Amino acid sequence: MQRPSPRLLLLLPTVTYRTVAFVEAARRLGVEVTVASERPSTFEQANPAGLVTLDFADPARAARQARAFARRHVLQGVVAVDDDTAVVAAAISEELGLRGNPVAAAAAARDKHQQRQRLAAAGVAVPRFELLTTAEDPERVARRASYPCVLKPLRLSASRGVVRADDAAGFVAAFQRLTAILEEPDVARCGDWARQILVEEFVPGREVAVEGLVTLGVLTVLAIFDKPDPLEGPFFEETIYVTPSRLAPTARQEVAACVQAAVGALGLREGPIHAEVRYNDRGAWLIELAARPIGGRCSAALRFTAGEGGTGNGEQQVSLEEIIIRHALGMSIPTIEREVQASGVMMIPVSGAGVLREVRGVGEARKVPLVEEVVITAHPGQALVPWPEGSRYPGFIFARGGTSEAVEAALRAAHAQLEFLTEPAD
Amino acid sequence: MSAADLRITAEPIDNGRCKFLVSEPIHAGGVRRFASPDEARGSPLPEAIFAIPGADVSEVIVSGNLVTVVKRSPAPWPVVGKAVGQAIRAALAGGQQAVVTKPAASGSATADDALYERVADLFESQVNPMVARHGGRVELIDVQDAVVMVRMGGGCQGCGMADVTLRQGIEAMLQQQVPEVKGIVDITDHTAGSNPYFAAAKK
Repeated sequence: MQRPSPRLLLLLPTVTYRTVAFVEAARRLGVEVTVASERPSTFEQANPAGLVTLDFADPARAARQARAFARRHVLQGVVAVDDDTAVVAAAISEELGLRGNPVAAAAAARDKHQQRQRLAAAGVAVPRFELLTTAEDPERVARRASYPCVLKPLRLSASRGVVRADDAAGFVAAFQRLTAILEEPDVARCGDWARQILVEEFVPGREVAVEGLVTLGVLTVLAIFDKPDPLEGPFFEETIYVTPSRLAPTARQEVAACVQAAVGALGLREGPIHAEVRYNDRGAWLIELAARPIGGRCSAALRFTAGEGGTGNGEQQVSLEEIIIRHALGMSIPTIEREVQASGVMMIPVSGAGVLREVRGVGEARKVPLVEEVVITAHPGQALVPWPEGSRYPGFIFARGGTSEAVEAALRAAHAQLEFLTEPAD
Repeated sequence: MSAADLRITAEPIDNGRCKFLVSEPIHAGGVRRFASPDEARGSPLPEAIFAIPGADVSEVIVSGNLVTVVKRSPAPWPVVGKAVGQAIRAALAGGQQAVVTKPAASGSATADDALYERVADLFESQVNPMVARHGGRVELIDVQDAVVMVRMGGGCQGCGMADVTLRQGIEAMLQQQVPEVKGIVDITDHTAGSNPYFAAAKK
């Protein structure tokens, strides 16, 4: 009797931007794929080996569902794409004995307070922090807070709900604004964490993002992105990522060491990580670390090349998703060397609230030298919501060139061509 | 419309495939798929695209105002795309048909016609009732050389899970029920989708 082929379980929430990148990467690798989502595909009965519904809200239950599935279809690896599915993937890998992270480590990485506690206990440089509940009196807390500080939800992604306060009045306003976000139905039903607020010291300095791959607890840095737009608040919507970083080599080493220490403190063992680090005259500060790859469409800014020194001349090109899938399945990884060219992405900011009617200037933006692509992900009729309430970028701009400075300038020039026409929401 | 007024929008799907949306129709006679320079002979536009140096183009699909190009070269789309854009402009400015009409049925075309009927039956009886549950629809555009070309609409157009529907749903179903089908190509302009069933929301 022929054994069924091993396959990859790909955990794709229905709201992810990552579907095409991961599904097509798996196809390029010739890997058999089962896509798991939290809501059923209408084709699930027609393709029971290729599609499955898992309870992403309950990782232990999802792991049992995956075990039942694996009795019929052998699974050799599991890959997550966001913070919540990272915990589900950990539970499944523990249940099935696959390569992955301990559940406790993935859960601690997802929860900003747990993460801070573990990192602080291990001596990793993190901002001073305090956990509050939304039931507390903000005016009372504001009197004893240190300023400037930052108020954060424990789990929301894309800096949704993150607000800086510079004084007591600002603290009360930020507390009330964040509480209102946590009381929105899509958040409030998520559990106790939606009634908690993390208050932490604002750490000044340059911020970078680190993309890495962890194997047996050891971090390999795949890329360090500069974030040239200063993230000073009051809100923390991201815009430009450019790699290679213009930090000095010693500073980059300190950043990498800080992230490695955080990986160890959290107990992460296997898979991709994405970290946000601030660097100032006191060194590297771990702001956040997630047990998942870079989000949105941003992974398209990363390209790895095998052979000929990454010159882009006819060598094999490997995407971040291919590296992650190969790692999960224990396949050899041909390269982790990023291409020689500088590369960057701009998450297009939301300039104002309204319902999107039309985007103008896309053609002109694409003509800007070094710009490779302008992707508008918002659709006509979609409500555009600015930060801190919002978390959806209306699109992405990609550029590549000889230097990080040139790439950054191209992204800004392309963005200047875009005009988002909106009408007031009802 | 002059060549200067012509607008061409490139939408890379991945490093191997890219759609080019042109502001005026290129080919009104249904879909034409060219899988080699030989097949493109006589049609100026695909001929020119196959001839782009260093691109190693393996497939060109033209439908209405959409040109889909598949390449094997690792050369980035911004480089290849400029040459594709020039080819489109030159073909439309040339005054002759950019893509000639599909020739009368040959042996393989007859086989494609038979496949078309079976795939159309499958779409009508199974695929579309399934996607309709999410407000979607999938239109069978053509079958050429056993490759099925589809366009997604309604809730499928611009849906964050459209690629899962295409690969894990429709393609898997075709492999099982019409195994003679060699592949499936989505020629949808997903950026124009105004009511996707699942809209990407997370960073």
